[in-house]
Amino acid sequence: MRIEIFNRYRSIAALCICSFLVLTCPVTADAAKSGGREAEGEVTLRVCNWEEYIDLGDWDEEETIDLDSGDIIGENTMTEDFTQWYYETYGIRVKVEYSTFGTNEDLYNMLTLGDTYDLVCPSEYMIMKLMTEDQLVPLSEGFFDDSDQNNYYSNGVSPYIREIFEKNEIGGRPWADYAAGYMWGITGIVYNPGLVSEEDASSWKILNDPDYKRQVTIKDNVRDSYFAAVGAIKSELLNSEEFKNDPDYQKRLEEEMNDTSRETIAGAQEYLQDVKNNAYSFETDSGKADMVTGKVAANLQWSGDAVYTMDQADEDDFPLAFAVPSESTNIYFDGWVMLKNGIGEDAAKQHAAEAFINFNSRPDNVIRNMYYVGYTSVISGGEDMRIFEYADWCYGAEEDEEEVSEYDLGYFFSEGDEEAYVITAPSDQVYRQLFAQYPTQEAISRSSIMVCFDEDQTREINQMWINVRCCNIYDIPVWVWIFAGASVCVLAVFGIRKMRR
Amino acid sequence: MHRHTFSRKYLGIPYAVFLLLFVVAPLVVLIYYAFTNGQGEFTAQNLTGFFSDPNTLGTLCYSFGIAMVTTAVCLLLAYPLAFILATSKLKGKSVIVLIFIMPMWINFSLRITALKEILTWLEGNLAYHPFLNTVLGMSYDFLPFMILPIYTTISKLDGALLEAARDLGAGELQAFLRVTLPLSLPGIMSGVSMVFLPAMTNYVVLDMLYNSTYIMGSLIGSYFAAYNWNGGSMIALILLGIICLFTLLTGGAEEENTRGGALL
Repeated sequence: MRIEIFNRYRSIAALCICSFLVLTCPVTADAAKSGGREAEGEVTLRVCNWEEYIDLGDWDEEETIDLDSGDIIGENTMTEDFTQWYYETYGIRVKVEYSTFGTNEDLYNMLTLGDTYDLVCPSEYMIMKLMTEDQLVPLSEGFFDDSDQNNYYSNGVSPYIREIFEKNEIGGRPWADYAAGYMWGITGIVYNPGLVSEEDASSWKILNDPDYKRQVTIKDNVRDSYFAAVGAIKSELLNSEEFKNDPDYQKRLEEEMNDTSRETIAGAQEYLQDVKNNAYSFETDSGKADMVTGKVAANLQWSGDAVYTMDQADEDDFPLAFAVPSESTNIYFDGWVMLKNGIGEDAAKQHAAEAFINFNSRPDNVIRNMYYVGYTSVISGGEDMRIFEYADWCYGAEEDEEEVSEYDLGYFFSEGDEEAYVITAPSDQVYRQLFAQYPTQEAISRSSIMVCFDEDQTREINQMWINVRCCNIYDIPVWVWIFAGASVCVLAVFGIRKMRR
Repeated sequence: MHRHTFSRKYLGIPYAVFLLLFVVAPLVVLIYYAFTNGQGEFTAQNLTGFFSDPNTLGTLCYSFGIAMVTTAVCLLLAYPLAFILATSKLKGKSVIVLIFIMPMWINFSLRITALKEILTWLEGNLAYHPFLNTVLGMSYDFLPFMILPIYTTISKLDGALLEAARDLGAGELQAFLRVTLPLSLPGIMSGVSMVFLPAMTNYVVLDMLYNSTYIMGSLIGSYFAAYNWNGGSMIALILLGIICLFTLLTGGAEEENTRGGALL
């Protein structure tokens, strides 16, 4: 009997192995096939980007962006257009396998689990993490060759962004060596001006302000919440004249905002616990809709989403506004990086990957992506004025507008202080979409990057977050224990009586 | 000569393969991660860590609380309904059952979104009653899972038993307590396990109804988001253990009751 069972198990096991082999066979065959195709000159590029973060085409006729310099419309997806452009420009066929991820952490977990991509678009702190772990392929020298007119990135990236990418180093190498920016933004507060004053919205302290009890949402995200908490608990210092006038202001600000000392983490925990008891909720994706439907009065938001939220609300004639906290704001970047385990030594692939970045940096494509996604591109266009023209097209005042303000974007679009980059916008735009899309230099001056914390710091901050979000067993009220104990007793008595019978 | 013949047991092979690939293999991976640290060395620290951290234990209690109240609410709503439907002589009975089951065919996030609007309309600001809202949301979501098994068991009850009880002098109430209720226990048990277990982990309902306190599902998620696969796996494993224990307990009760039913 036992032997029979054993035999049966053995045959099942054998069959399992066989079927496993059968299942894996097509995969290897497929790999061999694609290798064969590559030999014929077709390159496969595996791109992984945020969800809804690139133009997927199929616009309606009336969505055409009619700039003076010509119409722009997204007919095909950006990847289709890239494939065609690449063939026309370089005579090589490229196949783009496009996939998406939800959060930086998801992407990292996908990479750890063995998914291979050639080109990915994480945020700056994830880029820093990948750089530290030596997972990235540096951008080639050719990519930075300004004389090549197809190098749209190098020729078009905003001088302001270029400086940040060159200034920030990790392990002695600047970000710019490995990463090409895509979109950028800051964190701030979207608020309903009917209920919240601009002054209140301009501080991280609004999150636990009892005046707005259960009316403010915050992001369900450790990093954004931690940044806001640090800003709030250090509010006094950060707002002091002395601190703001420090010659080393920028450096000191970044140090303060990236402070992970015991006391700061403990302070942040206390603050966030307070926020949990005061705010409407920690939201993952509902914040935008709740803002538009008026469920909440203010909402911690990324500037790109803030633009989207305000656009949506405008459709219902429900004006919302955007404020950048006076303490500090978190400036963030999403950028393209090439992965070692995808690209490897494959020069053809790397060329295609860099061309993909360049194609997405071509001004008309930048406008398509910006229009479709709502975030702000790092590209200012260089000599090409179309991106500024687009900003003006979006936010510039009509001729019959009564109240207008001059809105200077020189810091983003030009290296010198040229007056060419001033938008004459309706006055309210200074607090609204235009402000979120292209914050003023004044707002940007108090922005701080949030670095990638090391393993110990990350662990402590995550623990802090769990402490905030979890129900502590010591906080469970006594009556709950008594009630639970009583119900268990009743059930036990009932059960025993039943068994006796 | 041994001839290869087709025997019926070969039909089980696809299922065996399926089980191996999608049940056993993941479980092995889960156990591996649960008992190792980041460097792949064996450790029981994840286990001891779980039972010594007031936060994880608190979350376990909180999830238990939500699941228990949800199950109780579902049971209190579902039993009378199932009983009335199953015993009444209404003509369009199956249509009424259908109406209660129909929500199951609609995507649950859509239903919760609708519920959210209704609750906002009723309560004004949802954020003041996170526990209540979560329980309401989950009860709404899981109610059909409670109604169906109870309805099926009661409608399959042998009417002769009730008649016998009445012949022997039992009143309506006594007949219900002594005959119908004990005999419908298996239905209750399977309903309870279908509601209780998902209610402990379904954090989507929690998120959508603005409850900012973690339950087990969200806790596991947060561990994975922090790249702590080991800790997350351990919590998943512990949850699995609790579920197994729970199923064993209710399963035992079920068995006993069917035996009891046979004796009656």
